[in-house]
Amino acid sequence: MANRDVELIGHLMRRAGFGATREQLGAYVAQGYEATVESLLDQTAEQRMGDDLIRRFHPELSGMMGTLGSGENWLYRMATTTTPLREKVALFWHGIFATGYPKVIHGKALSDQVRMFRHKGMASFRDLLVELSQDPAMIIWLDNQDNHKDAVNENFGRELLELFSMGVGNYTEQDVQECARAFTGWTLGNREYMELRSMRDSDWPYGRIAWHFEFQEDDHDFGEKEFLGQRGPFNGDDIVDIICQQEATARFISRHMYSFFVADEPPVPEWPYTEPQDPAAIDLLVQAYFDSGYDITAMLRALFNSDFFKDEAVWYRKVKSPVELVAGVLRLTGEFDRPRKEILDRYQQSIFMGQFLNNPPSVEGWHQGTDWIDTGSLVERINFASQQLGDATKPGVGAMVERIAHTPSVSPEMLVDACLDQVGAIQVSEDTRRELVDFASVVGSPDDAGHGRIAEVLQMVASTHEFQRA
Amino acid sequence: MTTVQDIPEIKLLEYRMTLGMTTMEGRGFYYPMDVGIADDGRMYVSNRSLENVTRGVRVTMCDIDSEYYGTFAAYGQSPGQFVWPSACTLDSRGRVYVSDEATHRVSVFDREGTLLSTWGEHGAGEGQLDTPSGLAFDAADNLYVADTYNHRVQKFTADGRFLMAFGRQGSGAGEFNLPWGLTVGADGCVYVADWGNDRIQKFTADGAHIASYGSSGRGDGEFRRPSGVAVDANGYIYVADWGNERVQVLDAAGGFVQKLRGEATLSAWAANFLSVNVEEGEARSRANLEPEIDYFVDDPHEESSHIEKYFWSPVSVKLDRDGNLYVTESNRHRIQVYQPARAYA
Repeated sequence: MANRDVELIGHLMRRAGFGATREQLGAYVAQGYEATVESLLDQTAEQRMGDDLIRRFHPELSGMMGTLGSGENWLYRMATTTTPLREKVALFWHGIFATGYPKVIHGKALSDQVRMFRHKGMASFRDLLVELSQDPAMIIWLDNQDNHKDAVNENFGRELLELFSMGVGNYTEQDVQECARAFTGWTLGNREYMELRSMRDSDWPYGRIAWHFEFQEDDHDFGEKEFLGQRGPFNGDDIVDIICQQEATARFISRHMYSFFVADEPPVPEWPYTEPQDPAAIDLLVQAYFDSGYDITAMLRALFNSDFFKDEAVWYRKVKSPVELVAGVLRLTGEFDRPRKEILDRYQQSIFMGQFLNNPPSVEGWHQGTDWIDTGSLVERINFASQQLGDATKPGVGAMVERIAHTPSVSPEMLVDACLDQVGAIQVSEDTRRELVDFASVVGSPDDAGHGRIAEVLQMVASTHEFQRA
Repeated sequence: MTTVQDIPEIKLLEYRMTLGMTTMEGRGFYYPMDVGIADDGRMYVSNRSLENVTRGVRVTMCDIDSEYYGTFAAYGQSPGQFVWPSACTLDSRGRVYVSDEATHRVSVFDREGTLLSTWGEHGAGEGQLDTPSGLAFDAADNLYVADTYNHRVQKFTADGRFLMAFGRQGSGAGEFNLPWGLTVGADGCVYVADWGNDRIQKFTADGAHIASYGSSGRGDGEFRRPSGVAVDANGYIYVADWGNERVQVLDAAGGFVQKLRGEATLSAWAANFLSVNVEEGEARSRANLEPEIDYFVDDPHEESSHIEKYFWSPVSVKLDRDGNLYVTESNRHRIQVYQPARAYA
């Protein structure tokens, strides 16, 4: 049985990443918890399957014309990166600033937005919001190309306040209008041609042309504005500055962060009427937000080192999202040691389970928690994880089987414990363990440590409540 | 002091025209990977397509006058079908050879696309293949194959009988890191785009290492993941400098001569599309297709994604009998043709 240090870092890696192999956990334990947090926050030493290699064998993941390529490309990163927190944070922002293909119809624009989350998502929240406001996919998603000096379109301005920063109840209708005015002229370069091609889903004649932001000075309202009690000839950057100064913004982002990394909060529309489940945790994150000058990394550091995060009461409380589940399984199986056409199938599995990256169900993104689970998706989740972890021809599974085969697992109990340990020091309930032991007893005699038997137990572990959770 | 940036450039090639257009089926290309050119000028373009658009996998037949002769082959595992079609070349009898990086096979077709044979077996043993990419014939109709994940080049008879192999994984002289395109010069020497090592290597017909050209970088004579190579009768070496989104020309000694970034114009098929789709054509005519952009990252790939005329994934370079250079761009679904500059023609 793994000790608590290993299990605690297993919890950290499931939340701050996509899980870890037993060998990786051992290395993290050796360096200590806080040092592991720091290594997760450090984005400088990333190693992963390179873009060149992916693009060589998957030209479509270079051109990004289709609906699936941007997601496949992202899955490659999640499955192979040594800096998983960067991808997890990108996923976090993608869920909040949810932007989807059906309206954007441009795979590279969506992929570029995720790239922006990757680069800006762990730095200043202020810079992130400015980048978001200039992001071509977001401009099209929320119609800011139709937000003109003489004909204001409020869509982006409203969602910036409601969904991206403060939440309802913290601003007035006039603030929405003034906010929208400040973003007039923030548009897409070659708007007419690009918008037309997007509406027609036109790849012709030579494939998609990447989008770029353009500030059209002659279409910008330079007039005086009054926003959240402040007055001036505000531009979009000024509006973002004012938004970031607000306590409501700090609380809104902190609650999102708590919900994503610690324990599920109710859906956002209920927040005005429901107190956070752990107000002290939100206070701590709000403090980190202001103390650091809106620095997301500082907030994450405070979160991962907090007692509320380490508390065993929150372990396995979160249901892994489909993409988290798929990426975690792929990291264990080690299947993608090189580009393989199977990446499409693996990515589509997450779609079948209910999460289509770059295609969220609405501007609110995906509902988390048990909303991921229904009869159909549960079958998909279990089938996928079991099938993958039961295939000992995959290098990661083969290595786990070999290690288990060389441990003295003379009893079904010891075999089960060894399997739970190998998939990431998973801690299971007594009921789950009893079921696993019963299964291990049936599939082979205690002294039969055959590889097939081990793979079968690994398959069963993949189907457990605890493995499906983070 | 002389640096690589200071080398005077000679204009050996000049832009001539663009061929092709993106289409998922029929007339056009869809993520083209290579072009084989017959002696009569007929072109065979191997199309990789999107992973989930199987109907896009095909070989398109056309010529430099944009005449369209149809397509052949399809997605699948059966003989003559492809999953990841890659290189395309022709032997002296005009038979068309296409490699498949997923099924580890080479398929052979006649001039009209009728399947003649399929050969190749997955593995690392002698004559076996792991992800075959580049293909090139010598004057005796022996076929050199870039055996990518075995990090070697293998030589076969035209019907697939193993003759010899050279190279192994590494970065030393004669070693490879995921080799891709290759060609055979007029002197019988073999030139290999040593993709992962950012260089071109030259070998005798028997695989003895002669020279290596280039190193990692974006300067003149430097490469980033070169994917294709062609050599003309005078020994000039044309390199698809894929990761730098450009083509470079070297002299026979490997000295830098010229670099091309791409100058695409409307192909006949593209012009036809825009003349029929008037609204799109007019919107395009009002757009600035060479905007000044503050790029998010300093990367030619990013630049090429925005500026349509530039090469974007120039995966292959091929010469025809007249010295025209065909640059196949997988991300732009077209071929830019360069011709010998008048001063050198």
